[in-house]
Amino acid sequence: MASAASLDLGRLVQEAEALASAVRGALGPRGGQVLMTRPTGETLLTRDGRRVLEALNLGPPTARMMVACVSSHHSMTGDGAKTFIILLSKLLRGLQAILDKREGSPFCEAIQRRERDQKHCHSLKQISQSLMTFQTHLLDHIMAQDLRKHFLSAFSSCEGEISRDTMESILEAYFCGRIGNSHQKLLSQLSCDFYYRCIPFKNGKNEMLDLVNEYFVELHSAVTGLSVSNSRILEGLVLHRDFAVYCPADGDIRMLIVTESIDSALSASGLEFVVNAEVQYQASQVWITKRTEAIMKHLQNNNIKLLLSSVKQQEITIYYAKISGISIVECLSSEEISLLCKTTGVSPFIPSQDNIRSEIAETMIAKFCRPLVLGSKRYIHLGLTRTCAFEPHCVIFCGPVHGVTEQHASAFHGAFKMLQQLFKAVDLSDGCEAQPENPNNTSKAVHCSWQQSATQQKFIMENISCNREKVNDQQLKTSMAETEKQFIDSSSWVHENPSCNQTDLQKSSDLAMPIVELESDFMFSALIDRGSSVRELQKLPLKCKHPSEMWVKNKNEPVVNNHRICNDAMTAIENTSTSVVSKQLNAAKKYWKPGNHIVPFKYEKSYKHTVQSYTNLVIQAGSVLPVGGNFEFLLHYYLHSYAKQCQQPKITLISTVIADALLSIPKILCRTTKENSFTQVYFKATSALQTNQQLPMHQQGLESVYCKYQLVTSVLHCLTKLLTIDLIIGIKRPPQKTEVNDSEEDL
Amino acid sequence: MSRIEAKKPSLCTNDPLTKERVSFSLSVLSGIVKSCYGPTGRLKQLHNGMGGYVRTTSQSSALLGGLSITHPVLKVLTASVQNHISRFSDCGLFTAILCCSLVEKFQRINFAACTVTKISRHLLSLCTDYLKSEACGCRILVDFDSIKTLLSLVRSILASKPACMLNKTEANHLSTLVLKAFLLTIPHTVETNVVLGKCVIVPVKDKRVMDSTVFPGLLIEIPEFQLARTFPVKRVSSSTIKMALFCISLSGDLSNIGEGTVIVHHGISLEVAVLDQLLNLGKQLVNDQVGLVVCQKVIHPSLKQYLKEHRVITIDRVGVSMMEPLSQMTGSQPIAALHSVSPTCYGSLKDLRTESFVSKHFLHLIPNDTLVCSLILCNRNEMAWDELKNACQTAEHVLQLTIKQPLALLGGGCTETHLASYIRHKSFTLPTSVLKTIDCSRTQYQLVADAFCRSLECVACCLAHDDGEILTDMVYGHFWSVQSGFPSDCNWSDLVLKCGCGIYNNQQNLNWTVLRSQCIPFAPQSCSNEPSINSTDHLVLDCFTAKCSGLQVAVETANLILDLSYIVEDQN
Repeated sequence: MASAASLDLGRLVQEAEALASAVRGALGPRGGQVLMTRPTGETLLTRDGRRVLEALNLGPPTARMMVACVSSHHSMTGDGAKTFIILLSKLLRGLQAILDKREGSPFCEAIQRRERDQKHCHSLKQISQSLMTFQTHLLDHIMAQDLRKHFLSAFSSCEGEISRDTMESILEAYFCGRIGNSHQKLLSQLSCDFYYRCIPFKNGKNEMLDLVNEYFVELHSAVTGLSVSNSRILEGLVLHRDFAVYCPADGDIRMLIVTESIDSALSASGLEFVVNAEVQYQASQVWITKRTEAIMKHLQNNNIKLLLSSVKQQEITIYYAKISGISIVECLSSEEISLLCKTTGVSPFIPSQDNIRSEIAETMIAKFCRPLVLGSKRYIHLGLTRTCAFEPHCVIFCGPVHGVTEQHASAFHGAFKMLQQLFKAVDLSDGCEAQPENPNNTSKAVHCSWQQSATQQKFIMENISCNREKVNDQQLKTSMAETEKQFIDSSSWVHENPSCNQTDLQKSSDLAMPIVELESDFMFSALIDRGSSVRELQKLPLKCKHPSEMWVKNKNEPVVNNHRICNDAMTAIENTSTSVVSKQLNAAKKYWKPGNHIVPFKYEKSYKHTVQSYTNLVIQAGSVLPVGGNFEFLLHYYLHSYAKQCQQPKITLISTVIADALLSIPKILCRTTKENSFTQVYFKATSALQTNQQLPMHQQGLESVYCKYQLVTSVLHCLTKLLTIDLIIGIKRPPQKTEVNDSEEDL
Repeated sequence: MSRIEAKKPSLCTNDPLTKERVSFSLSVLSGIVKSCYGPTGRLKQLHNGMGGYVRTTSQSSALLGGLSITHPVLKVLTASVQNHISRFSDCGLFTAILCCSLVEKFQRINFAACTVTKISRHLLSLCTDYLKSEACGCRILVDFDSIKTLLSLVRSILASKPACMLNKTEANHLSTLVLKAFLLTIPHTVETNVVLGKCVIVPVKDKRVMDSTVFPGLLIEIPEFQLARTFPVKRVSSSTIKMALFCISLSGDLSNIGEGTVIVHHGISLEVAVLDQLLNLGKQLVNDQVGLVVCQKVIHPSLKQYLKEHRVITIDRVGVSMMEPLSQMTGSQPIAALHSVSPTCYGSLKDLRTESFVSKHFLHLIPNDTLVCSLILCNRNEMAWDELKNACQTAEHVLQLTIKQPLALLGGGCTETHLASYIRHKSFTLPTSVLKTIDCSRTQYQLVADAFCRSLECVACCLAHDDGEILTDMVYGHFWSVQSGFPSDCNWSDLVLKCGCGIYNNQQNLNWTVLRSQCIPFAPQSCSNEPSINSTDHLVLDCFTAKCSGLQVAVETANLILDLSYIVEDQN
């Protein structure tokens, strides 16, 4: 009953292109909306690629796999679903073109004698392997070496603060892609407001973002039938329930969380209640009532004004609450309860015989608690006092139809996921453990050696301090020559056996440092210490300028060429890698103002191959790039230039395919504007890169580099997964239930 | 066993707005809503081929609720209108007509959707800013010292529902009743949080409209045989009757046993025990001099009998919806305990009477502080009664909205024409810097602005269903209609009588022109310093809040529809 078919690249291409065509219309600021109807008949508006792709209900298993990849990527980063599928389809198309060419293709050389099908399959396998190699080793390298110098930082100062202007331009660019022109401004301002109002102090941003993302359902409410312009932010929380009892109270309100019924029943599970006489039954009823009354009186004596309950309370409880002037909210969801507990830091109260006479400790204070009518629903508006890194606020989305409010809510949620990603950094060391296949990988090896041990670093530091006075010109020359030799040596070592080059590199590092010391135009942040072995944090602000010629001679590509000007030495914080914080934001901000063309980075210097500030981050937290395909242009350009000088034909081919596929995104973005037609834009961009100028920009707005980087890796990962499939087996019978091994049944 | 079925793939449509199917169904819908609009609107008869009853209506809520709409684009449109109605009750047809005609007219311009969206959003902001500003020439302040404006507001609403089949006297009578009922729900003492009371509509379907009345307090229907047996009632004093309100069942069943087991020995009856408790409760009520016991659920017959013997009136099964007005009106708290009832929970009534309407008998609870009233709404025709009830509820809702924001817009099409001439004027004098921020050319802006104004005027034109000419004046930008069959050589001032809202008559020479003709843009003058506003009895007014929001919703929905580039329909 099973049918099997081998993987056909042509079909994959068709499927991916069909998927891409569904979302292409919604890409970019000029894209339109997609209207979806659910089987229940309700309609939903969206520009969310993931929603659209999931709604297509596709049959082919490979297409379903692509959609699953998109979904998992989207749920992580909150962005990039449309770009994902378009990139994937272009990549598949590119690979198909290679395979069709047959002769001359490096993937077909060794397999001439095999049968056609097998050959095909084999070459797919090989492609997938090279893709894997590319993703794990090459991508990070190119990001670190070439792209990094183009990145801007979103932070305005060393504490990781982010200024409102930058935040707005990042969010605006995000909402532009997610909801289009119509309400983009309003929502970006709303989310920006929300961010700054929720964050009580600067360092709490990650904690706050985690909380907002986890409890977003509880933190927003939707009202239909009103104009979108009525959307707003409210201080405090909105509980999506009505009061069971409402007793108005002024001033600070003490409140309590309960998770079980206050009124006790006649019997409990596992217990028996034996009635011997009618009087006894009556007495026990009276006792229960009295007990409930006593608890409520006790709460009243403790000045409790509000009871938040996760279960439904008995009528008798509500009756006594009303008499005692206590408001009750019941049937709160477990998420609401846990949000309340987290923001206030209290645990639920359990009434028992012991504590109904003592002081109640688990109370929290609300500034206010009042009914709130949203649309036709009655909710509760609760003003909490903060105890954690989240100042409670909530958002109310208004719109004419449910589809709109839902779209805005999901875009808003996505924006906060995206911000979470923005503050993440990518670590180069992930790729370093593996054997580098790339012959130009010296800089990585250097990084490895830098990371080897703290003692070694210390040694280097000592070395530096020793050299500081005695170095003169004579020394410089010799050391330069030596370093050059060393680097050539070390690179050859790396090529042959990376495990042996440690000492060698150590030497080369030692020798490199004095040179580093000599001239003093560049402030650079010296060392980042990772790992627990670091005993003390040493701030090492060094002034240095590296004579560029040496490095030019050394390789046709700079080994290390970070141009970043960093005023601050890096500090190692706990175990995580620290971000290099630069003062570029002010410059970047000016850059956005139209007509003011201050180049944020000193480009004339950037190719002087200055010594890299030794950070092992490929992407620092808060790295951003202007929107409108800048990332794609950059990656395309550097992949191409890499492919030109790469000696491995497979890698060259893969790089070219990826580089060409990347261009499809700016191509679509440019489709409707006549003055910015794609060829012109492309020409401008490449010529700018060749002459080391800043890329031309057409739109305002910034996007997170981390998200883009994640996107490329996710697409490559998905592609690799697709291509490794050998056979698709269709089974025509209902899926079997996975049997649960229940140990109790065995007994 | 779970049923597993392969899902059908979805149906996708590219560029839906260019398709024939959409434009056709849109024109059908817009035809339906346009013909229903206004006091002379045509009625629609809705009947479902599968059964159910036939309904004659011209109200948007009934109409859109009754139509079954399959096309997703129209679903968006009707859903947003219905959501608007559920928030504001009023101006549903206005929103629907404006939205339809905006979509049709914008589509005809054939610019890129994002350009149209940007411009129309700017136009909308011009409108809302104008309507909310002091300088607005088409709104009037509602004066709560005299009931004239409020009455005009209610009368305009009732008059715009032709399916109610009211003549002029009936409309006047009902308007007064609705306004009276509303005023009764306003509390006498106003604290910081004003909570309005409730007006309960009681249906009486076999009497004339003129027999409708308003009672302060609540009317609770009781069977005829109870009527004679209940009186005289026990009173605390001549004007106070003590009342107890129960929210738990007094039927004597066992409650809240818990999750465990209860073992009852032979010969012991829990029911007897509970009944014993109930009778003890009755004893306490009698001792506390309670005259009336109302229970949300069922009262045990023995308890009823006991209370009756002690001249206590019992009403049970009032239902949960009556609980809130009851406790609001009498000040009693719903009691949930069977023993040791706290005397603070009792409420009080001023008087208790009986009323009869045709075959129905009511117990009339008269409170000390009226917050709750009952509107007896009579109509001989059942279909017209439904329509009438809807209209009364709409009017009540509009009055509530007006008390929050004491403004009203001129009705009868005058607001629309006035706004259109304002926007036309503004779009001609728009500074270039604004165009730059919108990123469009002046021609583009003016074309979209023209379509926008024509859509507004189109709504006004829908008020006139008979042949005839529609005019506007070049001073105030109001709406004037002229009967058909006028001689061609006649002066306009001889033909027009009154403008749509009724502020101006043909006395002033106002320089009339035909509405849809091209005319020079002018800044329309304000009517707010017109002496006739307070002297004229019969102004036609619209709810300010509802109309403003309807305008916004219509423009936003139209933008939404124009922006659609793809449709994915789930076929499962």
